[in-house]
Amino acid sequence: MTKNLLALALLGLSAAAAARDDIEVLARTCNGCHGVGGVSVGLSMPSIGGLPQKYLKNIMKQWKYDERSAITMNRIVKGLSDDEIDALAAYFAKQRWVPSPQPAAADLLAKGRSAVSENCEDCHGITGSDPDVDAPRINGQWAKYMELELLKYRDGKFKMPHRKMKKSAQDMKSADVPAAARYFGAQDK
Amino acid sequence: MHSIDRRCFLKSISAAAGASVLTVPQSFAATPKARVVVVGGGFGGASAARYLRLLDPGIDVTLIERGKLYTSCPLSNEVVSGERDIRTLQRGYEGLARRGVKVVHAEVTQIDPIKKAVTTGDGIAYSYDALVMAPGVDLDYSAIGGLTEELADTRIPHAWKAGPQTLLLKKQLEAMPDGGRFIIAVPKAPFRCPPGPYERAAQVAMHCLHHGKKKAKILILDSNDTFSKRPLFEQAWKALYGYGPGGMIEWIAGASGGIVESVDAGAMTCQTTFDEHKGDVINVIPPHRAGKIARDIGLATLKGNWCEVKPESMESKAHKDIYVIGDSCVGGELATGNGFPKSAHMANSQAKVVVASLVAKLNGLPPPVPIYTNTCYSVVGHDWGFSVVHLFRVENNQWVYVAKGSGISPVTFGTKEAPKPVPRVYRKMEAEYADGWLRNLMTDAFG
Ligand SMILES: Cc1cc2nc3c(=O)[nH]c(=O)nc-3n(C[C@H](O)[C@H](O)[C@H](O)COP(=O)(O)OP(=O)(O)OC[C@H]3O[C@@H](n4cnc5c(N)ncnc54)[C@H](O)[C@@H]3O)c2cc1C
Ligand code: HEC
Ligand code: HEC
Repeated sequence: MTKNLLALALLGLSAAAAARDDIEVLARTCNGCHGVGGVSVGLSMPSIGGLPQKYLKNIMKQWKYDERSAITMNRIVKGLSDDEIDALAAYFAKQRWVPSPQPAAADLLAKGRSAVSENCEDCHGITGSDPDVDAPRINGQWAKYMELELLKYRDGKFKMPHRKMKKSAQDMKSADVPAAARYFGAQDK
Repeated sequence: MHSIDRRCFLKSISAAAGASVLTVPQSFAATPKARVVVVGGGFGGASAARYLRLLDPGIDVTLIERGKLYTSCPLSNEVVSGERDIRTLQRGYEGLARRGVKVVHAEVTQIDPIKKAVTTGDGIAYSYDALVMAPGVDLDYSAIGGLTEELADTRIPHAWKAGPQTLLLKKQLEAMPDGGRFIIAVPKAPFRCPPGPYERAAQVAMHCLHHGKKKAKILILDSNDTFSKRPLFEQAWKALYGYGPGGMIEWIAGASGGIVESVDAGAMTCQTTFDEHKGDVINVIPPHRAGKIARDIGLATLKGNWCEVKPESMESKAHKDIYVIGDSCVGGELATGNGFPKSAHMANSQAKVVVASLVAKLNGLPPPVPIYTNTCYSVVGHDWGFSVVHLFRVENNQWVYVAKGSGISPVTFGTKEAPKPVPRVYRKMEAEYADGWLRNLMTDAFG
């Protein structure tokens, strides 16, 4: 009885809900690399659940149209329609941001904090949880991933269209790169 | 309806509406709405069991797997070379048990598709409403003269099912002297992990290079005439280890005498169509076919070796309510040579297709639109990796390979006329991503 009612009630949901199922199915293909709900457990793979919708949409489109370099993602998004990308961005933006705070040595954290307060705080907030509209959250993001990303911003061989972030990254002393990444990676809030 | 039931009901509906119509709330789980049995707890079976419980806790899920500890084949070539501890690749089944999967460690010996029951070696029968088959592959030792399962366990390991043989092969490699020869015999396709043998060759070469064995040779005797991600492998082999005459790695195509027909474990030789090759280590990978239990019940409708399934649901073409995923199945665009690769990522993706379709069916909902994706990373040096991506969609009940959303890492940059080398930093990053990918994939499957 309940079973039938449930089915009926669910069937009664709108076409929009049915479309949302398809987005669930599509979003699940991301879990193998980014985790359920976009919460990654792999040190080099970013968590993506809870990132701002605009940011998500923007970078996936940049990858798709070859305006931005990537190692793997550019190939993956080329098979997706713009509508699918928009739906994925909306879907992952609705998930909760779950930081994965990673412990690091105190001196490294102190060094990172001072680099961040000098050069990064304006746009990311002191812990990375209070970003500008066009920036992602990075508190408790995986440090290994962020180091690789900073390398992309710093290395001239990657097309990274955000000029200001690129300049900030290039202005960093190379010893500050792992320190800043570890520092942001250690923040839970 | 009691008022309590009614409250739960309304809450559940709103929860369902808020999350997803296909994520069915727990409050209906009092009596299971269906029993699903999963045979085989590798990447395919574990993913199916976990996602069934994630999407609909009202379904009773039993996973039957003979082993208590699963060892991932992906990245196990790094164990052979000594780059990785095998324990980083091992997972138990506690994560699935915590999700409410009933985990049974036993050998499945019989399946009755009519009575819908699975029987294990100890005589216990498990009846099912739907059965997910994910028994992986069987290796056909009889296809190679002189080779037996016992020899594989002791002298001529395949190490194509990660575990003790992976460690045996590692030991043999460590004991190999400088100037020694390591033979890898590749079976006729399809086999699991199309780039796997060539990744292994690179890992073995890396070990030799770093352990004072610069004169070692790695000889790949291939039953096929070309291989997965070939330009990427050849480029890396050349740059890192030397490839071809005078290099560490040599590849012999099937047409040029690469097909190994028999082995002699006493003399440590491989006999091919044209030649005899002596090795210090002989790593023969026997031909594959679907797991025995799947063939036993007639699921292997393609040449008696592989299980054909329906694109929209992965349901077997032979038996109703039986779904076959992972290495045992065939799918994709076979006619254009773009079949499903036998990979852990693909098995995980197929599991999600089955689960979405089953959960919809068991809840009387319309079937969702399936999508299949794969990524295989290969790590060929400390800081050198690359990958292949696949995307398949289903149109008019047929698989369609989406070339736009598929492809290998770039071999060169620049233009065709004026190619430029891909910066090393790209290869380095991809090796890093491989590790992150595997950790997530294992968690996606095993919890
Ligand atoms: C060296 C190597 C490297 C690889 N690298 C990659 C890679 O980088 N990326 C990638 O995606 N894939 C890779 N693969 C391929 C990957 O390992 C397989 O495709 C994947 O394991 C397939 O999953 P499966 O669930 O079909 O089978 P399996 O993982 O083999 O699981 C099958 C399970 O079923 C159990 N079973 C079978 N019969 C019975 C029975 N009768 N009763 C009880 N239990 C039973 C077995 O014990 C086993 O645990 C690699 C493979 C190898 C060998
Ligand atoms: C095979 C692994 C893999 C799969 C599958 C995958 N990704 Fe990624 N993802 C990566 C890697 C690697 C990066 C780092 C960027 C790169 O490719 O260089 C990344 C980065 C991202 C980022 C950037 C995160 C940030 O903090 O800036 C987003 C967003 C993203 N992926 C979304 C997705 C979505 C959505 C899907 C599913 C459609 C998906 N990914 C599937 C591997 C994967
Ligand atoms: C002018 C504002 C600004 C400053 C200053 C700035 N950032 Fe950024 N940062 C951004 C924006 C915007 C993005 C996203 C850019 C894009 O789309 O490529 C970003 C992206 C990042 C990323 C990638 C995150 C991800 O999930 O992929 C990291 C890591 C990062 N910044 C670290 C830093 C560090 C460390 C500093 C200080 C040295 C810094 N940023 C300074 C604006 C800024």
